[in-house]
Amino acid sequence: MKTESKIGVFLCECGGKISGRIDLQEVRELTRYEPWAHFETSPYPCLAPGLETIRKQVQDKGLDRIMVAGCSSRIMKKRFTNGLAAVGIQRHQIEMVNLKDHVALVHEAGPQELARKAAALISGGLASLRLLEPYEPVSLPFEGPALILGGGVSGFAAARELARHGLESVVFSKALEAERVLEELHWTFPGCRIFCGDLGEFLREVFTSPKIKIMPDQPIDYIVGGVGDYHVGLRQPDNTITEVNGAAIIVALDREFAPPEIAHIGGGERVLDLLDLEEQLVEGEFKPGKVLFWVNSPQHGKDAQELATMAAWRDSLLLAREHPQVQPTVLYPANIALPLAGADLVEARAHGIGLMSYAPEVHPVVQSGYLSFVSPADNLEHEVEWDTLVVPGVPGDPGAKAQELLRWLPIYPENGGRLQKSHIKFWPDQVPDESLFFTGSAGGLCDLNDVLQQGKNAARGVLRLREKALEGKLVSPVVVHVDKDLCEGCGLCTEICPCGGVEHVKPGSGPVPREVDNHLCSGGGTCAATCPYEAVKILNNTAQQLEARLKAMMARMQENDILGFVCGWGGLASAEQAAIKGVAYPSGIYLVPVNCLGSIDPFILSMAFLNGVKGIMLAGCTPKHSCHYHFGVDHCWYRVNAMKKLLSLAGLERRRISIGYVEVNEPNSFARMVESHMESLGKLPPLPQDEKSKAKLWAIHATLHRPRVRWVLGTSLRRPAEKEFPGSQFNAVEADETMLDVLKEEFLASRILKALSDQPLNPPGIARLMDEPVKNITPLLPDMANEGRIALQGWEGGYPVYAVGKA
Amino acid sequence: MITFSINGQEVGGEEGWTVLDVARWHGIEIPTLCHHEAMEPFGACRLCAVEVDDGRRTRVVISCMYPIREGIKVQTETPRVANVRRWIAQLLLDESPQAPNIQELAKSFGVTPSRFKKTGVESACHLCGLCIRACQEVVGVQALTFGNRGVLKEVTSPYHRRSQDCIRCGTCLYVCPTGAMEQIFPLVSSE
Repeated sequence: MKTESKIGVFLCECGGKISGRIDLQEVRELTRYEPWAHFETSPYPCLAPGLETIRKQVQDKGLDRIMVAGCSSRIMKKRFTNGLAAVGIQRHQIEMVNLKDHVALVHEAGPQELARKAAALISGGLASLRLLEPYEPVSLPFEGPALILGGGVSGFAAARELARHGLESVVFSKALEAERVLEELHWTFPGCRIFCGDLGEFLREVFTSPKIKIMPDQPIDYIVGGVGDYHVGLRQPDNTITEVNGAAIIVALDREFAPPEIAHIGGGERVLDLLDLEEQLVEGEFKPGKVLFWVNSPQHGKDAQELATMAAWRDSLLLAREHPQVQPTVLYPANIALPLAGADLVEARAHGIGLMSYAPEVHPVVQSGYLSFVSPADNLEHEVEWDTLVVPGVPGDPGAKAQELLRWLPIYPENGGRLQKSHIKFWPDQVPDESLFFTGSAGGLCDLNDVLQQGKNAARGVLRLREKALEGKLVSPVVVHVDKDLCEGCGLCTEICPCGGVEHVKPGSGPVPREVDNHLCSGGGTCAATCPYEAVKILNNTAQQLEARLKAMMARMQENDILGFVCGWGGLASAEQAAIKGVAYPSGIYLVPVNCLGSIDPFILSMAFLNGVKGIMLAGCTPKHSCHYHFGVDHCWYRVNAMKKLLSLAGLERRRISIGYVEVNEPNSFARMVESHMESLGKLPPLPQDEKSKAKLWAIHATLHRPRVRWVLGTSLRRPAEKEFPGSQFNAVEADETMLDVLKEEFLASRILKALSDQPLNPPGIARLMDEPVKNITPLLPDMANEGRIALQGWEGGYPVYAVGKA
Repeated sequence: MITFSINGQEVGGEEGWTVLDVARWHGIEIPTLCHHEAMEPFGACRLCAVEVDDGRRTRVVISCMYPIREGIKVQTETPRVANVRRWIAQLLLDESPQAPNIQELAKSFGVTPSRFKKTGVESACHLCGLCIRACQEVVGVQALTFGNRGVLKEVTSPYHRRSQDCIRCGTCLYVCPTGAMEQIFPLVSSE
């Protein structure tokens, strides 16, 4: 396809905004030998007449790739995609180079100078476009039942919805009959016994439906496969594994309520928690008298207190209805809004249920038979009488089942033990259909009604997937290939993938090549940049394309120019906003937009230095806080860090490369970043171009291709946090030195290879060529020979002579 | 092919194109504020007013939404048009006196702040709706919307709550012609 590519370049004048600052005639002159099939300058390619012109050229000249050099890809790409769809040009076949925001509006240099920069950006884009590969969307089949894991109540709601639409499902549940579910309901949903009547009917429908298979809940041994074809291994009591297959997974997890601490209140059987109370309600006997529900536990936040108030209210209503001799009262803190509707209040009055609030600033005091509290209405201390005091429980942690599932599915605990699906914030057209469904109160405090609704929604999601699959439209915008010949099955990609896109393998199956579930993939590309064996490739977003782009750009850059990688979110948005705000920065920085800094392969950085770039700046989102790919920018930090170490090992300045963080709305910070980095580089000479330095840069590049180095970089994972270090390291300096040792050794080995690349040499010969003491080199040579990287050719004057290649 | 004239110059176009499209394509400058090529025309600012003679009568219309028709004569620089634009510039300046773009625009029309002073103007937003349309049409989510009505109308997130739909892409910041989004963004964007 490379030779066939027919690229049309459309330069935009933007009504003078670009043509007034950049000499477009000169741009055309400079790029005349680039591999394009059509070149045109127009006032506004994006207007209706402009799109018409492009469509005409596509049809007349058979163009199959389009480059628009003018405006922001983020804003305008959709317009071109929509406008050119009629002539068969797809989104990935359109490349946009932003001359307006990256060149014309942010630099003060003359039109000729800016034309040179524009030409460099354009030829970079062209080089990348040439390596485009056809994207043929593959539609997934969707056969088999939906698997509902986790045992939460919402799973039943999902199953019923699926059954009503004719889709089979398998529910794994502790309770195998409806009555059991009802009896245990209050463990997860206190205060919901009042719904038992309706719920019982609903559950009987579920348990008798022929479309729903209820299976006993077994420990999950593995979950492998992907959308349309999941395999779940269940460990049976006799330790054998049964495998259940399904097309989709719904995780329904609830959290159990922990009993509150009431021992310090005392009172024996007169003081209960909500669970005790509901046990008594199940048994159906209750002591007459005044029952006081005291909503306490301010430490769990307003949401938990609202939930507890709701539970207390429902239980008191149930009590009042079924045991007329009981007089319930709910005492709730005044800092929450009473979560009751007007009709509820009417009902409360009808049943004589008291609703009172207490000022939470003054802690109520329990006495025998009384509880005193301060009313927020009059600031007076009041007393309320009780015969039974009930303290609602607190939401506990997700159960043990959650731990089993978290290991296999992209669900993570967030602050406060709340479970969250990997939620990545992207443009809607960058992500495929939602394909993993997570419901239940483990994802956030909610009551039974919410949870049932969540289950229903999850089922609808599954039904949507099935519908799409039937139409052959269940496709993913991102396609990740794992080269089976290169992959060694180390599993590093699975470990670091934030979206759960790289499949897990069954325990004990050894190193097998991975598959990628494109429907969970977010296209961040960190896996590809991390893979020690360079086996992972993201279609049309490969390191090879980036390499070609940079090489083409660097061929046109001057010796003091630098490369600026910007991530598609914080970095790019700030850079482009700088143009809108009229914030100027030096023209020596050539911006290269990437999805995420985490997608930049370490060898890209070394390749840039090898090709003579003076310095590199990277601008991404703030780590941990706003990286759209969870930890992409943190992964990049390690690569920059390794690059710094290697530069200093090669005797070059570490500050030639630096990484910075900006948010989407910080154009001034971005400009300052560029200025500061350029100023610091201004004091440095251009990269030395002599043979010895070149050899060292080559060695850096070779080092970053080494699986061992890439493995260490990959397992180091992230920018270290305070007191948190990769591997078995226990302090910052030691962690860093371990990495430095590996880099040192591999760098030296790479330099030896370089020295041997021209002719076979003995150790003193190698040392002379490398300017290193012989004693540093000799220990490495036998190891390298054992690994087959170099071969012992013979002996000469008592010294071994080595050459590149296998023996 | 539809042929018509702009300022006496014979131009042509296809069904569905607007006067503004054709004028810009031929290098005839018409000022706009609420228009962005990436989005459907909206007609909020009325700054792109032109005079159209359709053979029966002459009217001032907005060029960004006026579809071209056979034989019409468009004039972009008549005194009538200039008067309309000047008044709009005047009102915009009074609405958002702090915005650099608006100040520049006002300067080009030679208008200065008038007696129509809006009190308590803190942000420079004048409700052109570009950010809202960008969020819906370009990004494809609905994290921004107009809130309230009449003089209280404002750009906000649905229900005045930080939107969970917001993907923090910064498109709204990019398209905002006055820079008002810089103040609004931290209040509406997701955490």
